[in-house]
Amino acid sequence: MMASAPQSPWQRLQGIPRYYIYLLLAAVVVWQILFPIRLPITPSAATKGVFAAIESVPDGKLIIISADWDASTQAETGPQTEAIIHACFQHHKRFALMSLGAPMGIKLADDLARRVAEQYDARYGVEWCNWGYKFGYDNVLIAMAKDIPKTIGTDFHGAPVAQLPMMAGVTEISSIGLVIEITGLAGISEYWIGLIQGVYGTPFASAYTAVMAPGYYPFLDSKQMKGMLVGAKGGAEMELLVGRPGLGGAIMAAQSWAHLFIIALIVLGNVGYLLASASERRRR
Amino acid sequence: MNPDALIVWATAIATLGVYTILYRENPVSRLFEHIFVGLSAGYLIVATWTLNLQGKWWNPMVHDRKWYWVFAPIVGLLFYFIYSKRYLWLARLVMGLFFGTAAGYFFREFFPLYSPQVYACFKPLRADASIGWADVILHHWIFVIILLTVMSYFFFSVPHEGRFGRALGRSAGLGRWFLMIAFGAMFGNTVMARISLFIGRVQFLLNDWLIPSFQRLGLGG
Repeated sequence: MMASAPQSPWQRLQGIPRYYIYLLLAAVVVWQILFPIRLPITPSAATKGVFAAIESVPDGKLIIISADWDASTQAETGPQTEAIIHACFQHHKRFALMSLGAPMGIKLADDLARRVAEQYDARYGVEWCNWGYKFGYDNVLIAMAKDIPKTIGTDFHGAPVAQLPMMAGVTEISSIGLVIEITGLAGISEYWIGLIQGVYGTPFASAYTAVMAPGYYPFLDSKQMKGMLVGAKGGAEMELLVGRPGLGGAIMAAQSWAHLFIIALIVLGNVGYLLASASERRRR
Repeated sequence: MNPDALIVWATAIATLGVYTILYRENPVSRLFEHIFVGLSAGYLIVATWTLNLQGKWWNPMVHDRKWYWVFAPIVGLLFYFIYSKRYLWLARLVMGLFFGTAAGYFFREFFPLYSPQVYACFKPLRADASIGWADVILHHWIFVIILLTVMSYFFFSVPHEGRFGRALGRSAGLGRWFLMIAFGAMFGNTVMARISLFIGRVQFLLNDWLIPSFQRLGLGG
């Protein structure tokens, strides 16, 4: 049996088991959560667009926050939702939570809204409400455009929405001053834009997980969206604008260092690959 | 143990159980994966009933005497005739109804959704009172060049031979590079998203589970 040729350090580097890399990445994240070194965050134009859109909603109109996310993307969409709710309360804008595609998410968004509402002494049914999960996607939106109380029926707690004080005067889509879609699900924004924003001119803004955000930049360029929050970064930027540092900012501290670590690994891996190839060629 | 602590412990064990997949495929991660899928499906059924069907279908039918709602599930059940060779036409009937409705909705949605993006592609390529040359070159020229070269990459009707064909080939090659850059940016965003989710879990494990547990045991401040 022939003994295998001794490997150079660069060749051995190519064969590191992947779980060592996971462990190192976990170590970087734990280090940054326990002893954070925060890098500066500057709000982008897209984030400022969401903030400005909330600020410019006329007083008599309602904001719909469509919380189409659940536990699987909570680290990104949770801080986004919380910062958006802060912005609504700070500008004294009434809002209704709802969900078209994530029944679990509406409960998580309800918990967040309840916690934030306590900080502003905001009352349920007066400053905010939760319309709950409404199944039917485009059917719901088409019906809502004509008659909101009838389409929504009952709120998250089973009470008729028409009886909530904040719903007085809310009849059809012209009562809505802004729709904010927060989601990790591709496709739901298309319903809002195609059936509501594009037809009735209702302003629309969004908050997406980082993985799906690149696909929606064209909507920002075409002005179909007023603004967009991108992943935990967008959440952290919004937290900065509302002056409430939270989970988004904490995630971004660890995120920046995790990215630096990944960049270093990519550089090291590629240099190793090139040097290993060169030493292989020399041996031949 | 109080219920909140129990929930935190269960969540922590489930998180660690699912993450064991990073080492290798194993029954523990499978178990927690199945629990998660089962819980989600159960929650979806309950939420669909309590937040939708009960108020929109059951109550009107049973309490408000809108008896005609009884036909709704009958129409829905027609889908199951897909398993019968003799009555397959009944399933086709209801499928046709749904396909037609969906196509109508999509047609209605398509133009308001995409036409503004077509208009947004027409950008001024000369500076004027509203926009300076720097912005025109940085934003509009780059946008239009990338748009045209990428579109030429997907134009397969002309062979890349002859004078026009070679020019088209060069443009398509450039378009391919731009596409690769875009895919790289998308992949970067994907990495960001996945790392965010991981950090969220580590935050929970440290701040909600490990540190409070150590504090309860009198270890650490």
